[in-house]
Amino acid sequence: EALKRSEEDYVPRRVLRSRSNSSASVNSLDLNESDKQFVPRTPRSRRNTMSTPKKLTSTPKTPKSTLKQLRDGTITPSMQSRSTMIPKDSTPLMKARTQLHVSYVPNSLPCREKEYQDIYCFLKGKLEDGYGGCMYISGVPGTGKTATVTSVIDRLKTERKLPKFDYVNVNGMRLTEPRQAYVEIWKQLTDKTIPWEQAQNLLEQRFTKKKHHTPVVMLIDELDILCTKRQDVVYNLLDWPTKSNDQLIVITIANTMDLPERLLMSRVTSRLGLTRLTFQAYTHKQLMEIVTKRLTGTESFNPDAVQLVARKVASVSGDARRALDICRRAAEIAENENQHQQVSIAHINQALNAMITQPQVMAIRRCSRLQKLLLQAVVAEIERTGVEETTFSDVFRMLVSCCALDGLKMVSSVVAQRALSQLSACRLIITDQKCRDVYQKIILNVSVHDVYFALKKEQQ
Amino acid sequence: MIRVTRSSRRKEELQRAKLEINSNENSTDKNTNLNGESEIPNNHQKSSKPPRSRRPAKSKSSSDIQLLSPVTPPKQRKSNGSENHNAEVSVTPSSLFKRLSLKSPLKKSAVSARASLFNSKQKVENTEQNQEITKGSGSIPEEAKIYSQYQNARKALHSNFPTELPGRENEIKELRNFILGHLENGSSGSIYVSGPPGTGKTASLNSIVQHSDISSKVQQIYINCTAIKSATAVYSRLIRELNIKSHGKSEKDNLLIVEKYLQKKHKMLLIVLDEIDQLETKNHSILYTIFEWPSKPNSRLILVGIANALDLTDRTLPRLQARCELKPNLLHFAPYTKEQIVKIFTSRLESAGVLNVFTPIALQMLAGKVASISGDVRRALDIGRRVIEFIDQNDNVDVLKSVENFTNELTENQAPKTEQDAKPKTVNLKEVVSVLNNVYGTTQNLNDDTEETFPLQQKIVICSLLLMLKKAKNKDITIGKLHEVYSRICRKQNLMAVDQAEFSGLCSLIETRGIIRVTGRKEPRMHKVSLEWNDTEVAEALKDKQLMSVILQDETCLGKI
Repeated sequence: EALKRSEEDYVPRRVLRSRSNSSASVNSLDLNESDKQFVPRTPRSRRNTMSTPKKLTSTPKTPKSTLKQLRDGTITPSMQSRSTMIPKDSTPLMKARTQLHVSYVPNSLPCREKEYQDIYCFLKGKLEDGYGGCMYISGVPGTGKTATVTSVIDRLKTERKLPKFDYVNVNGMRLTEPRQAYVEIWKQLTDKTIPWEQAQNLLEQRFTKKKHHTPVVMLIDELDILCTKRQDVVYNLLDWPTKSNDQLIVITIANTMDLPERLLMSRVTSRLGLTRLTFQAYTHKQLMEIVTKRLTGTESFNPDAVQLVARKVASVSGDARRALDICRRAAEIAENENQHQQVSIAHINQALNAMITQPQVMAIRRCSRLQKLLLQAVVAEIERTGVEETTFSDVFRMLVSCCALDGLKMVSSVVAQRALSQLSACRLIITDQKCRDVYQKIILNVSVHDVYFALKKEQQ
Repeated sequence: MIRVTRSSRRKEELQRAKLEINSNENSTDKNTNLNGESEIPNNHQKSSKPPRSRRPAKSKSSSDIQLLSPVTPPKQRKSNGSENHNAEVSVTPSSLFKRLSLKSPLKKSAVSARASLFNSKQKVENTEQNQEITKGSGSIPEEAKIYSQYQNARKALHSNFPTELPGRENEIKELRNFILGHLENGSSGSIYVSGPPGTGKTASLNSIVQHSDISSKVQQIYINCTAIKSATAVYSRLIRELNIKSHGKSEKDNLLIVEKYLQKKHKMLLIVLDEIDQLETKNHSILYTIFEWPSKPNSRLILVGIANALDLTDRTLPRLQARCELKPNLLHFAPYTKEQIVKIFTSRLESAGVLNVFTPIALQMLAGKVASISGDVRRALDIGRRVIEFIDQNDNVDVLKSVENFTNELTENQAPKTEQDAKPKTVNLKEVVSVLNNVYGTTQNLNDDTEETFPLQQKIVICSLLLMLKKAKNKDITIGKLHEVYSRICRKQNLMAVDQAEFSGLCSLIETRGIIRVTGRKEPRMHKVSLEWNDTEVAEALKDKQLMSVILQDETCLGKI
């Protein structure tokens, strides 16, 4: 019987075989009848079920067709909207906060008149002349590069005398791969999503063949991300303006001033040209002007407070985003305190302390006693040898003597190692992850002074 | 520095390649095959898919239903909706046909028809604009004259393909003779054109090829090797350009197809491979196969390779030296000399009739500077255009007004301006020098601002770096060490020091100016810092001698380092 059962288990395969062979034995046919429920599972029968007319139940939009429509640009992605209305800003502080938000673009950009004019003249000249060209804009983050360029383009769009142009905006950071730039450009020109090879071919045809389309102004943000080893994407983007009879004006933006010389190949640099513009970091006066222009209509900020923020930020980076963030944080703090309707210097100080803090000292103070002792031992070892890098065995020896000095009972090296790994997890020290034995290398990640400061304050 | 290391690496590779030549020869084919196979099936599928896909049948049936019986509302609505969305996109036989004909000649005619439509429209627009401009100029002749003169000069100095190439007569003649000689003999040959960027390699070849006596006799193919997907994809590109119907499955097949085509009887071929150094692979198999084609019997092929490196063929293709018929002819485009650049400028400005915009001495200055630095004509033209833009900008400073003011200004400012600018300004030495300084100085942008823009903390970081480089024994500077010295200095100067996380951000901000370089991957504290400028340049950029001297004199801040 057991044999029979095992034979029954094999039935479906046998059935198939027997079907394919025209001569079927009686036995197998019998089995087939008894086990009919197995039959639909075979691949062949599955195909049969698929081909049966099922149109009545099928929905009109299969996922595939939705994807296709998306790629063709017939449907656009939409976001779910809120069910409730956003309340309007009631207090002056709230109004100030919304106006201070980084995404709130003001009508005019203060302190960037010269650069604005430079870009405007360049673009206008190119559009009037009917030739393509390139421009390279550099500057540290938060100095208004992209904002200036977009506002110039917005203005050029409204001018009637100039020919109409298409505007393409590519950001290197938004692309998964440099070559996806082709897809993005093509998508913005025609609303269609196609693979990058096809997009490259089509773009090449559009920009190099002699046909007259509308001129295109292309803004390429974060140029350094698009640089690969071959640099083919950057080369092509900068080569099209020189070849095309159609107009293509490329404006490239990056942070590094000497990027063309440092990173790009000589032939790419040659095509990029010498039309360059550098956005300098904002000075404290300019930052003050920016913040006060944002705050027009609200009396919620003390002028001295604004000046403090401007000076603090200008001394470090000159980043306008940072200044606005600090102001917003200060407004939030003032709002929480309720009785104040004006942001004072105290609030600003609080916000500055929150944003520019030194968490290491606090972290060291909150360490366990063993961890503190370990840190002390590391510092002592560094002082003794004068070399920054120490090994665990040396530190442990130092730890033993430290403990003896304080009259504490010594732990085993395993426990010490555990404490060490905890310290390295919160990045107070850096350890070699590869070898975890006594020869593990240890580097202090905070300055020696910070350790002394943290431990001394506590003892007093 | 980088170039030296690169070249040395290449040498190493070369030697290795020499050693491995025998062992590799079998494996190269396999490699290309493997690489090719991953790419080509896609192509194949694409080419074969549209006619075979199930959609046409489906859509047909739906349309048939619609035609025969407009009975059931839901169905009708569905079909209508899809057609309303986008007529082109909905899958009807006609749309499919459109998609099919993307690369076929049929589509071309359609496109050209559309383009011509478009063309005419734009032409109309252009003429309208021109009329507007001329109308406007009628009322203010002087202004418009100056304006158009600048514009003409700017247009004349474009860096697109020029129609004539002064200063390249010899090279063009040589190339022409080479191509024409081979055309008359019906023999095949190869030439390698080298030269630094912006010396007119592609432009001169373009001008030769467009000439009727060559273009009529030969089938030309121009491939820019940066525009293809990878080095191995060059064969499939060639097939596409040759209009051969059959597509191979892999790159190896494509190579066979191309070689078969070359064996067959065909029109003379002129293949131009621009930026040919992009085809370099590890064992140079592609470059070797391509350069071997001209020596094959019946190939009737003229091969022109263009690249920047002077010795690409000698360096990467040493085996071609072994047989004389394989060795490509060499042609070098030297950087433009001062006289040649002046000639280019004068000829271009003369043809536009605006030679008087530049004074001769300004031209000499510009040409001399560019020729001494790079000899790159693109740069020279760029600077020329910059100079004109510079003057143009200074003339109409009023550009920066808000839009509503702008229109008013335009009407108002005619009267006072005409008197001042009765004579058009010419480009003088002064403007050229200022633009040149702007372009070629390292501290370019820091000099021309009267206001200091360097943040204080960044100044202190640079000063502490200078102090360490000058006084410390150990010149191996990491961010951690620098931060220690910096915080000590800050304490002495009674300033608030930033903490370490912020400090590495500060360093990267300084790095964007090109003053220092931060290298290293893992821990920010262990990154190495090196100064890229020399002391005088840094001092000029900082513009704060007092602070610098105070910091640099104080050695106690160094501590034990």
